Parts: sequence; C-alpha cells; structure tokens
Amino acid sequence: MPLEPWPAEWLRATLPLTVLAVVAEEETYGYAIAQRLQAAGLGAVKGGTLYPMLNRLEQDELVTSSWREGAGGPGRKFFTVTPHGRAHLAERAAAWHTFTERAAGLLPSVGSSR
Amino acid sequence: MTSTGIDTYRRELVPALRAANVPPERIGEIVAEVESHVADTGEDPREAFGPARDYAAGFRRPRSRGSVAASVAPSLLFALCGFLVAVGIIGLVDGEPAFGQPAWVVLAAGLVLWIPALVVALRQSVPVPDPRTGRWITAGPAANAVGMSGVLVAVAVACWGLAVLTS
Repeated sequence: MPLEPWPAEWLRATLPLTVLAVVAEEETYGYAIAQRLQAAGLGAVKGGTLYPMLNRLEQDELVTSSWREGAGGPGRKFFTVTPHGRAHLAERAAAWHTFTERAAGLLPSVGSSR
Repeated sequence: MTSTGIDTYRRELVPALRAANVPPERIGEIVAEVESHVADTGEDPREAFGPARDYAAGFRRPRSRGSVAASVAPSLLFALCGFLVAVGIIGLVDGEPAFGQPAWVVLAAGLVLWIPALVVALRQSVPVPDPRTGRWITAGPAANAVGMSGVLVAVAVACWGLAVLTS
C-alpha cells in the first residue's frame, strides 16, 4: 500500500500539532523540523508550508523564536515551546487520540471487504 | 542553490510583501527564513516556497481606505511633478508660456511639488531590516531619495533634448 504522499487535507489537519510536538521535544529550527517530520513518515514538508505554520504557532504564543548565528551560514531561527504551548499540546494530543480512535472505529479494518 | 537564485527570489519577494501591506520588520523575518532554509537544504527557493508573489500573498494584510489612498499618493504626486517639469522645460526652450503662466513658474511648481512627493514616498519605503544582523536589506532613505531625484533629472534632460530637437 503506498503510504506517501498522504492526502493534503490530512497533513493540513495534523501539521500544527505535529510541528508543535517536534518543537516541544527540543529547541529546534525549520529545516530540522522538516527532517524530523519526514523521518516520522509524514512526508516532505516544503518551506512554503512550514514557516507560515511556525509563524501562526508563534502568533498564538505557543512557541517563541530567536535568531542564532550559523557556522558559516546565514544564521538560523530557533523555535522553543512556551508553557502555554506545552499545555495546549497535551490537551490537543489527548483530544486527537480520542478523535482518531473514534474515526478508526468507523473504518473497515485493513484487508476487510466491509 | 546559487546566490543568484536567492538574490533573484529576494528581489521578487520584498516588493511582493510590500504590496501585500506586510510591515518592514516582518518582511525581514520572512526573507531571512527563506534564505536560512535554502542555505540548509540547498533547494531552489522557488521550489521550496513557490513563486515569490504566491508566497507573499499568504501574508497579505488588509488595508484601510486611508492607507490605500496613501499608497497611491506618491505615484500621483510624482506623475504630476514630472508632467509640470516636462511642460515647464519645453515652454522655456520654446520661449512660450505654459497653462497661461510663464514657463519658469510651471517648472518651479513642479520642482517645489517634488519635495512633498519625496517625503511621502520616503515615509512609505521604510528600509527592511535583516533580523540576523540588524542591517538593511533594501535601499535606505538616502539611496531612495537619490534614485527618485535621478528619475526626475532624467525626465527633465529628456524633455529638454526633445524640445531642442523639435524647436
């Protein structure tokens, strides 16, 4: 069964929470977040999708950002989760698990002809 | 990723973001994010972020009626200045009045009107700062003033040359 690319609407729905989860793991920057999402099997997330999402998380005060000098590069914008962001993540992650369990309960199991 | 690619993309992105009513500090952030990302990935910015105009459209902020009028005011003032200067110079070369006034009066009116036009334009073209260095990534007020004045001088010289050739 082909896993990627996932339907765009699935990614749109999960991206805010998965990006917040990656930032909550450790302070990180855009490219590293994209790599982490890809390594988790969510597919390649383009910069044009990722940075507006990070900016929205920052506007909602779920993350903060700061620029750091890069080694020979142009510098990187690092993102850190806020206490509000961490609480939001815990709350939404719990709700997401409930939601996906309920949705999965309606779907036919793999290999089923239902 | 070549520096030409990112330079071209920045040249397209900055005016597109200005047109989308994005504040200069935010423009600097967006440009720096693009530059930093493509430096890490080696991607072409157009491939990673899409066409500059489309990417900028995602940051569009609504304008008030007053700010719409303010955004077109410099263009109208510049057009009026250029017109008065052109008519004044042609009148001076031909030795004829313009709009029933001595040609030098019309020329002087155009030059005097240039000052508020320049002030309004400079107030609106606030330089974009790079959040990583604090330096401007667009031309500063002095360079903008020189550039805009250069256009006026070029218009004046062209009109003078045209008038001399045709008189």
